[in-house]
Amino acid sequence: MRLLTHNMLQCHVKKCTDPALNFPLQLQDIELEQVETEENEDLLLNLINKVDYNALTTTAAQLGLVGLPNAIPKDPQADPAFMTRLHEVLLETNITQGKMACRGCGHVYTIKDGIPNMLLAEHEI
Amino acid sequence: MDSEPAPPLGKPQPVGLAAAPADAGRTEAEFVHEVYDQIAPHFSSTRYKAWPVVDQFLQGQASGSLGADVGCGNGKYMGVNPRLFLLGSDRSWGLLDITNRRGFEAMQADTLTLGYRPNRFDFALSIAVIHHLSTPERRCAAVREMVRILRPGGQLLVFVWALEQKGKRRFDQTQQDFMVPWVIPMNSVHNTLTASTTGETSNAQDAAEDSTAPVTSSTSQVFHRYYHLFREGELEQLVLNSDLASQVTVTEQGYDRDNWYVILTKREAEKSP
Repeated sequence: MRLLTHNMLQCHVKKCTDPALNFPLQLQDIELEQVETEENEDLLLNLINKVDYNALTTTAAQLGLVGLPNAIPKDPQADPAFMTRLHEVLLETNITQGKMACRGCGHVYTIKDGIPNMLLAEHEI
Repeated sequence: MDSEPAPPLGKPQPVGLAAAPADAGRTEAEFVHEVYDQIAPHFSSTRYKAWPVVDQFLQGQASGSLGADVGCGNGKYMGVNPRLFLLGSDRSWGLLDITNRRGFEAMQADTLTLGYRPNRFDFALSIAVIHHLSTPERRCAAVREMVRILRPGGQLLVFVWALEQKGKRRFDQTQQDFMVPWVIPMNSVHNTLTASTTGETSNAQDAAEDSTAPVTSSTSQVFHRYYHLFREGELEQLVLNSDLASQVTVTEQGYDRDNWYVILTKREAEKSP
């Protein structure tokens, strides 16, 4: 599971609706793997408008991934170092094992062999 | 029943249920989720050709678009256009494992509640998924959930099996809910398992369902999957007769490869009344 996916996910237990708490999910006991992929500028420019950048930098810091500035540069396209680092963090950093805990309701989603399990029990839907 | 033509000798046929099963969740768990896990390697080995409408839809998305493949199966659509990036999800761990090993993004989730944040995706795919849901409310809820994750202006392509299909399967036109057999020929089991992780396929096991040769229970395994077969117009009506009518427009609809399909476009946000 790439960090992009983590940034797209929120707790979806039915009664857990506080946006200040159900996102981002708190990463725990994480094992990481870097997998090289081709950089796609169109994709990165598009993703800049989709990711929650604050959540991304907070998560990256927790995982010990350095090099992302606190704010998105005014002209990201003109900053190849930023674009490459964004690519590495969002699309090349894979979580192979670990957990994602909700700060609102405490629900824990597990990540096994790179695949997060977002299934809920019947009473949580 | 006397008037029905006799099925080919020994080949398992779809069985009509007369009515949708009473317990939707349990039926789908037993006759959809569990079955796909059991048949995952063989199913995957038969799923490699991209359908033209889906291929066209993917080629038509802007470079750099983010998509959700909801019910991604073995991930066969996730690399069709390398200028896009797709997040795949499915119920079946067996299929997700194959998708993940191919280097695609795979997540275990139910099509009714995905866990993605709202308004994120440029497009979404639901290929041969919501016909496995056993009530109109659940089929509609699945579409609603995919519309929720689309950005305004984003497009959703939905494919479902057609009741009227004239290909390799024929269905009793008076019913819409069926148990449809999936047959794994025993002589293909080994090849299927070895082929599954690489995406390689072998003609020898080109879809049990494509096989016209009679199969018998002593040489094959038979699994039953629940399907709701859609009539012409039903897919659009599912959307247009619901609250979704105010959220999406029907951009395209049609019939392809034994399926009805529709492309929905999420409307730009309107001022609340």
